[in-house]
Amino acid sequence: MAGVARMRLAEERKAWRKDKPFGFFARPETAPDGSANLMRWKCSIPGREGTDWQGGFFPLTMEFSEDYPAKPPKCKFTEKFFHPNIYPSGTVCLSILNEEEGWRPSITVKNILTGIQELLGDPNPLSPAQADAFALFQNNMAEYRRRVRAQATQFPPPA
Amino acid sequence: MAWPAAASSAELRDKIKTSKVLCVGAGGIGCELLKTLVLTGFEDIELIDMDTIETSNLNRQFLFRRKHVGQSKAKVAAEAVQRFRPNARILAHQGNVKDAAFGLDFFRRFKIVLNGLDNVEARRHVNRLCLAARVPLIESGTTGYLGQVTVHLRMRGAAGQVTAATECYECKPAPMVKSFPVCTIRNTPDKPIHCIVWAKDLLFARLFGRLEGATDLDEGAEGAAGAAQGDAALGSSGREADGAPGPSGEESPAAEDLSEFLAAEGENPSGYAARIFRRVFCADIESVLKMDKLWKNRKPPMPLRLGELLPEAGSAASGRASGGGADGGGEASACEALGMTDAHRLWSVEDNAQVFLESVRLFMSQRRAEVGAAVFDKDDALAVEFVAAASNLRSAAYGIPMQTLFAAKGMAGNIIHAIATTNAIVGGLIVVEALKILAGQPDKCKVTYVLEHQSSKRLLATMPPDGPSRGCAVCGTAQLRLAINTRTATLSHLVSQVLKKRLAMNEPTIMACGFMYEEGEGLQDDEVAANAALLPRVLADLPGGGLGHGVLAVVRDQSQDVTLQLLIEHQEEWDEEMQPDGFTVDGAAPAPAAAANGDAAAGPSGADAAEEDDDDDLVVVVEPHAADAKRKRAATDEAGVEAEEGREAARRRRGPADAGTGDAILLD
Repeated sequence: MAGVARMRLAEERKAWRKDKPFGFFARPETAPDGSANLMRWKCSIPGREGTDWQGGFFPLTMEFSEDYPAKPPKCKFTEKFFHPNIYPSGTVCLSILNEEEGWRPSITVKNILTGIQELLGDPNPLSPAQADAFALFQNNMAEYRRRVRAQATQFPPPA
Repeated sequence: MAWPAAASSAELRDKIKTSKVLCVGAGGIGCELLKTLVLTGFEDIELIDMDTIETSNLNRQFLFRRKHVGQSKAKVAAEAVQRFRPNARILAHQGNVKDAAFGLDFFRRFKIVLNGLDNVEARRHVNRLCLAARVPLIESGTTGYLGQVTVHLRMRGAAGQVTAATECYECKPAPMVKSFPVCTIRNTPDKPIHCIVWAKDLLFARLFGRLEGATDLDEGAEGAAGAAQGDAALGSSGREADGAPGPSGEESPAAEDLSEFLAAEGENPSGYAARIFRRVFCADIESVLKMDKLWKNRKPPMPLRLGELLPEAGSAASGRASGGGADGGGEASACEALGMTDAHRLWSVEDNAQVFLESVRLFMSQRRAEVGAAVFDKDDALAVEFVAAASNLRSAAYGIPMQTLFAAKGMAGNIIHAIATTNAIVGGLIVVEALKILAGQPDKCKVTYVLEHQSSKRLLATMPPDGPSRGCAVCGTAQLRLAINTRTATLSHLVSQVLKKRLAMNEPTIMACGFMYEEGEGLQDDEVAANAALLPRVLADLPGGGLGHGVLAVVRDQSQDVTLQLLIEHQEEWDEEMQPDGFTVDGAAPAPAAAANGDAAAGPSGADAAEEDDDDDLVVVVEPHAADAKRKRAATDEAGVEAEEGREAARRRRGPADAGTGDAILLD
């Protein structure tokens, strides 16, 4: 291996180990046989304290392409994740993850994960990505919050 | 203002006052350096040293007094110079410079880093941190009369452009720490040091150390025995005997039964000493002699017969009751018991035989409790006497010059006697180079060698520093080629021997195509366990394609900020005589495709080599090749070997002295 993407990912991994935000988790995916896939990271984002997301630890995968860091990684929660800015496939819709918008190669894995954590509690009503959550967010805040809290209990802290 | 004049400018005086500098090491060079810094007017100094003061330091580490023995060098040195300049801010850290506490952020706080270290590993570590932190490094070393001060710069102007760049400490390949082929030590010594190593690492360990003490030398023995070479205890390891029809099981007095080196139940210490003598200096030599292939081009050894050397010693019981009181209290010493107290007198073979018998006897009678767990220590008088005598007897058998006790102690303890004056000169030179940097004239910096003999009527030889070497795996973009047997070597071996020992890494992480290994801080418990589980596995069989032939692995260090590319090549056969390590690392080749690693093409001239930009994309720019390698640094830590004539001669030929060892020990 060499190449810019992998070198940068090695750097990202090192930086993450040196300074990882509390409760977060991120590392290259390892298969049961012990082999590692540097281009696909398993992550977990804790719901921020004091929000309806609190208590949940939301698993997310980050897929990097060989064009990284010129192109952003693709970030996916589980399918049908409940949030106005997350596509039914689980893909996160966030400006800093969009090559045409806010992505810059200097954005780190840590920036991305903390950015997504912020997005959870603070949806962007201008770029809806799923009908379900977006409709409730707009029209029925009580129900929206109930759904968010219910979802948090589905993702308990890792053992 | 031109350089020498600028040295006395008010502007520079001001800079000296306000610049924060770091002294790494508060030993022989460190004390001199610290004193000179303070007297030059530096007022903001931090120093690190992990050691405590020992009696043997006092003759030259002049900031310390007898009452300080046992205290932190850094703290006592700081207090001592503080009294010269009460206004100065001197902060002492007792700790290892490799600790995480002294990471990149720590180094970034300094204007200049000044090294007064005593080992290559720490030097390499500091070099990497200074490169990463972009702090100028002034590096030094002394060995006896020889000394050197080198300057390592990667300075930047306000716009981030490189304004001065020299080679880094690792641009020139450091010669390996000398290790001796096992066969030379076991069968065919031809230098005094070979006999010293045999006496210290093999015989001492067998008699007084742990039985399974597994020194490398003993491992060789087991291997040989396992391969049914059936050689004598101190005889051949497998390879030498390959194809030699001579030694077969029957001819050997005994296969490798190390228990024969232990005293039998109720065996009298004098009798035991005589038995060991006969075994190692007579029987074993005789059996080595039977391997005639060995002696085709070598002078064969002569067995020593105890009965001829010391007729009275033969009768075991006679022993020397050793002057009554000698067995009493105090530290046991064979030389004292024998009245041979002049450490500078060369002993006769008979003297050596007496010291050998007496030291073994004393060990077995007075220090019985340690037998089975003793470790050689250069400050242990009896152990040194034993090693000197055993080594000299072996030398006598092989026709190698014998050594005085004093010289043998130096060789066994890897000691080169430090000379305070050299340390003082080097300390002063470090400050001179620091001033040039502070005066904004890094182009005036010089590499300076302190010589033992004058050259062109000078004892100091100066030359401009070389530029960075693109072929440097640390500050450049070189790929290292690692040749190793990937089907037998384990990951653990790769990590401990190649990455940590040879490449001086601290907390290495390895990433290859589908493989990842990490150690160091910031890992979760399950990750630590998963990584540890990989260690015993053979390289080629590691998960995700492993680290087999042709794999290019990226090795980083969690604490050092260094990235190496390691191209792995499988090599099945290893000549254990020539390459006892079983691997080679070859980093000479600057990768022509270096720039291809980065999306940025080769940068403007004067750009830095392979630098990661902190706040934007990863940019790799390549420095035009500037190093002309006309000078070879032979710096090393191989203190004991420095004494070797060959190296000495090589050094003289080269002119400028190399030294690398910090100050090496002793004279107590």
